[in-house]
Amino acid sequence: MKKTNGIRSLKYLREFTTPLPNLSIEEKKVISKLIDAVRLLAPLYEKQMSVKGGGAGFYPIGLTKEEIEQASLTNPEILSPYTIVERKNGKLTTIPHHQKYKEDLLPISKLLKEAAGITSNKAFAKRLSLQADALLDGTYEVSDIYWLTMDPYKIQIVIGPLNRYDDKLFFRKATYEGWVGVVDEDATREALQFKDLFAVAERRNKGWDKIDIWDKLKLRVDNTLIYAGFGARSYFTAYNLPDDPSLIEKYGSEITFFGPAMEMKFETRHLPIFQQLFHPEFQRLYSRNDLKKADLRNIIIHELGHPLLRYKHAPERLKELFPVFDEIAASIIGIKNAGTLVLKDFISQKELEAILVMFICWALDWSEEGADSLNIQPFVTGNAIALNYFFESGALNEVGGISWPNFTKMFMALTELSQTIERILASGTYEEAEDFIKTYGDTYIFNRFNTRLSKFFKLAKVRQ
Amino acid sequence: MPKKYAAKQNKKSFLTPEGLYKIKKELEELISVKRPRVQQRIQRAREFGDISENSEYDAALEEQAFIEGRISDLEEGVRGAQLIDTKQKAADFVVIGSTVKVQINDEIHSFTIVGSMEADPASNKISNESPVGKSLLGARLGETIDISVGPVKSTVKVLEFR
Repeated sequence: MKKTNGIRSLKYLREFTTPLPNLSIEEKKVISKLIDAVRLLAPLYEKQMSVKGGGAGFYPIGLTKEEIEQASLTNPEILSPYTIVERKNGKLTTIPHHQKYKEDLLPISKLLKEAAGITSNKAFAKRLSLQADALLDGTYEVSDIYWLTMDPYKIQIVIGPLNRYDDKLFFRKATYEGWVGVVDEDATREALQFKDLFAVAERRNKGWDKIDIWDKLKLRVDNTLIYAGFGARSYFTAYNLPDDPSLIEKYGSEITFFGPAMEMKFETRHLPIFQQLFHPEFQRLYSRNDLKKADLRNIIIHELGHPLLRYKHAPERLKELFPVFDEIAASIIGIKNAGTLVLKDFISQKELEAILVMFICWALDWSEEGADSLNIQPFVTGNAIALNYFFESGALNEVGGISWPNFTKMFMALTELSQTIERILASGTYEEAEDFIKTYGDTYIFNRFNTRLSKFFKLAKVRQ
Repeated sequence: MPKKYAAKQNKKSFLTPEGLYKIKKELEELISVKRPRVQQRIQRAREFGDISENSEYDAALEEQAFIEGRISDLEEGVRGAQLIDTKQKAADFVVIGSTVKVQINDEIHSFTIVGSMEADPASNKISNESPVGKSLLGARLGETIDISVGPVKSTVKVLEFR
């Protein structure tokens, strides 16, 4: 295990040594148990990933998508997020996650129960107890509903089969993921202001079938202490859960921002990309603080973009292409909304420009991450779409690897792109989505920046 | 974050009665509670000894500077306060104090145009000095205005106001 800058990391585990002086002894004891539980999740995720074949071993090797879809007509459990599909005597059967990984889940569940026994916050104790039960009997919905309806508590743990990115066939099945954090009240207050600002706009109804969950949306910025699973590998900076549209519609969802991961991503990835990529004269226009603030705001507005784009049946319609559109649409609609905040004088023109600059750095960062893991291909393709659009419109110019953006063209390109992508999410067919990716999703675009960035990417890899 | 504009010498501050009340209340709290508290904090920090490497002392000084700056801004605001009569008969064009419903590109926004001291976009109170506030003053029902701030080009249409 390596330890750098207050972070311990394994491939699928990140630990942040954030000082938390305002916790009681009891709270520290609870947190210690929860951290131990999440630590045990990393090897379980690794076990899931070690299975060969399409979709992290969710489906038997050699089966085509069509065969799986056909079989799911008579056995819907085949496409449940929480089952593994196996072939027995020539027939497809399913086994639930909680049975398949029972031995691994037992000690995790036990730690959650122990933490529930320590905390004097009754609601949180119940939350922990329900999570512990869900891990062993698959009652995730019961646990999720309680979580979404309980009063927020300073300590948070989310743990279970949560992440769908490893199902490259259908974007349906979940791998295990978890984190523990303590709320950062100041940062949460600031993020909530953006939520309030985004809420005031009523978007014109274009006849699209939308799930409006804004009023039921919760958010928090945490001093994250540990996280394990898919997101740990790529330094995910936030999560919006649950995924189940019917649950979201009834009970809403919660965005958790991982404060230390946001900072780390800025320091080790986005800022160095900025320093490598842009002309020195251009760089002088922005202070480090301007860029950091813009980077954090980018993450916030991206996550707030997601709930604005919840269209009914979009995941079923667009299948594995859905996350490509969902992720890039969230970013660009968030930035588009930030434009309105300039008109209202909540942020300045320069602050908006800094957001656009950091968006380019964020987009390029995914190219390197993507080279390491096919599972985040949706992010890579989505950001390639934006970069291709910028180049085509003249919003971004590059000579010998050094770049200058044209903000006016960039904002126009983003506005135009947001309209097309949102329409595809709202009512587009799978074929339309596929055509759009063929036209704009060429990831060769990242090579245009290689002259400047390849050295940084190599160095970053050595440091990790 | 919502900007609280520093009031310049002799500058008028357009305020609703509610806004003026809030500002006076904040001023009172700053003068009677927060100012003495930070003075005590500075005094305590001095008692710890060498102030050249005393982070508590530095933090307290920083807080004091913020409080004094805010007091100064609010005092100027109160001195130059020009009350907006929210009960007067509506004009046939948008004025400070108007609550407007506008279409900005493909979105509908409703907000009240207030003086800059009272502005809080997250609570639908937009400054008369903001690009959208400035461009709406004097606009009539149904009027369409193009606004351009750097990269952001928008068309704003007045749908309703009162």
